[in-house]
Amino acid sequence: MTLARLDAQSVARRASAEVAPGSVVAVSGDWSTAVADLVPAEKGVWFLRAGGTLSDLPISAADAGAVLRGGNVDLSILQAAQVDSNGSFAGYHAADYPGPQGHAGLIDLAGARRVVTVLPHTDADGSPNIVNSLTLPPDGVRCVDTIITDVAVFRVADTGLILTELAPGWSAEDVRTITGAAVTSAPTLREMDFALPPGNPTSKIYADGPSAIADLPDGATVFIDGFGGPGGMAHYLLISLRDRGSRNLTIVSNTAGIARVVSFGTPPGHTAIDHSVLVENGQVAKAIASFPVSPSVSRPSEFELAYRRGEVDLELVPQGTLAERLRAGGAGIEAFYTPTGAGTLIAEGKESRVIDGREYILEHGLRADFALIRAHRADTRGNLVYRGTSRNFNAVMAPGARVTVVEVDEIVQPGELDPEAVVTPGIFVQRIVRRPDGFTGYE
Amino acid sequence: MSADKERLDRAIIAIRVAKELPAGSCVNLGIGIPTLVSMFVDDESVVFYHSESGVLNCGPLAEEGSEDIDLINAGGQFLQPVPGMAYFSSVDAFAMIRGGHVDVTVLGAHQVSATGDLANWMLPERGVGNIGGAMDLAAGADKVIVAMEHNDRNGNPKVVQECDFPLTGRGCVSLIVTDVAVMEPTPDGMVLREAAPGWTPEEVQGVTGARLIIPDSVAEYEV
Repeated sequence: MTLARLDAQSVARRASAEVAPGSVVAVSGDWSTAVADLVPAEKGVWFLRAGGTLSDLPISAADAGAVLRGGNVDLSILQAAQVDSNGSFAGYHAADYPGPQGHAGLIDLAGARRVVTVLPHTDADGSPNIVNSLTLPPDGVRCVDTIITDVAVFRVADTGLILTELAPGWSAEDVRTITGAAVTSAPTLREMDFALPPGNPTSKIYADGPSAIADLPDGATVFIDGFGGPGGMAHYLLISLRDRGSRNLTIVSNTAGIARVVSFGTPPGHTAIDHSVLVENGQVAKAIASFPVSPSVSRPSEFELAYRRGEVDLELVPQGTLAERLRAGGAGIEAFYTPTGAGTLIAEGKESRVIDGREYILEHGLRADFALIRAHRADTRGNLVYRGTSRNFNAVMAPGARVTVVEVDEIVQPGELDPEAVVTPGIFVQRIVRRPDGFTGYE
Repeated sequence: MSADKERLDRAIIAIRVAKELPAGSCVNLGIGIPTLVSMFVDDESVVFYHSESGVLNCGPLAEEGSEDIDLINAGGQFLQPVPGMAYFSSVDAFAMIRGGHVDVTVLGAHQVSATGDLANWMLPERGVGNIGGAMDLAAGADKVIVAMEHNDRNGNPKVVQECDFPLTGRGCVSLIVTDVAVMEPTPDGMVLREAAPGWTPEEVQGVTGARLIIPDSVAEYEV
């Protein structure tokens, strides 16, 4: 008697049961992309698809790679041709395209926090696709956590494959006979469960600034945007952080607060809100900045005064290097070579290298505990659009922080922002606060 | 004595620099005299202005009363919205610079050496300074033009044999335009190309720290 196997749609249904509300999921291969159609919109899941979409947002290949490497993908669901007992896999293209072209995207996808493969348990001539050791070139080595086939579900453990679920009508022995690797049955072995995880994602909207940064700890590294003047600076969040009083902060920013001394955009009789509110409150231990002090020697900023008193440290970074370090941190690139600063003080103590006759220095990516950024509009999923030159470092900082908090003028419903115009996809934004009516960039 | 001779004004420096901007080129102007250059570029040459604040094809400064905090240049000045502008993030602004997409940058300087080393981000006596976009521009722009006064407030030469201020970049300056002369740093040393009206090459040398290489013909400063 031949036991019935699940069809591709049912395998996709079982895979959808792995998808947590609000998570970011990369899918590749027909059996996998079908998952995206099975998860309802209210679950708030982001699907990254080969070919350049992040849910309804168009995304470039470079940005897709950055999303994957930057640690933003909770789960990859990949269609495989073969998986072995160590959790290494060969992608579904492996047999058809033995060269690198069949592998390119899958290799990045294998970097997700969790990797689930979906595949037929055996190939067309009945030989097992789950094996002791791959016979096809690998797309990922020791990266698979869960294997879902048309007859069973396995967990990949250090000790080998653990059989956790069976398709209706199948026994563990039935599965073993068509599996090319040793299998241990889990004590909890049961029939396949197709139910989606319960619940909906928690809202990203916070009632006010203080509640959005209530857990910003002492000693945190904080990205703070603001090119120099009032545009693009999260003034309300800065005041919220001053009021919270977190101390010993490392701030990463273009300036260390010059709006107050430059005061453009500030009406007479008022004081611009910038990093100075944190510095004068004794909250800053160190700034990593490109333009840290006043352009005028005779009008020193709060930061410069504190620096001269020896109260704060400064790591001076060329502006383009700062931008690229932020990008790299958010994109999972540990370090890069740049020509900027070669042969200057900036190069001291850094590894340098001559490539094609030109000198480059090694600079490292930056990551933060929190980013306090400013955008014009957000939708409830966290997609952001900016205004004019106020995009500057905001868009670069969003991906590299564990918690990115955005201060916006307006919060709208999904669908109200043109996906073609979204600059920062919502996967990079954890919290959204609306700037109170009448709140200005000065006190 | 040459130090007391009449010098050109800042606008003339800017006019001279404007002649160096090829039609259709992408240009980044620094703060100070460089900012003035755009006033003297004729519309037909269709120069594309790039600013590190994240805008391309930017235009003139905003008029008083119509400033928009979301439209500034790298010096923090408010810009007028003009047709054809493009906005981008800081990472893209500097990819344009390092990636060789900015043809010319015009920067101020504290010192330039005979071989084109640039020092423009820190006065040693202050002990702290702002790099901003200067090191990226020095490293990335195809052509770096320095527009500055020939001597500092105390009369010290800013065109020197070797910089003693902290460097912004090595061997990066292509041309220096001052209120006294136009000079070209080369691997062999500083070549005097043009002298201000009424100045002899020897008089220029008298206010210059670098040893000038004086060709047979030194043109009069062309404005």
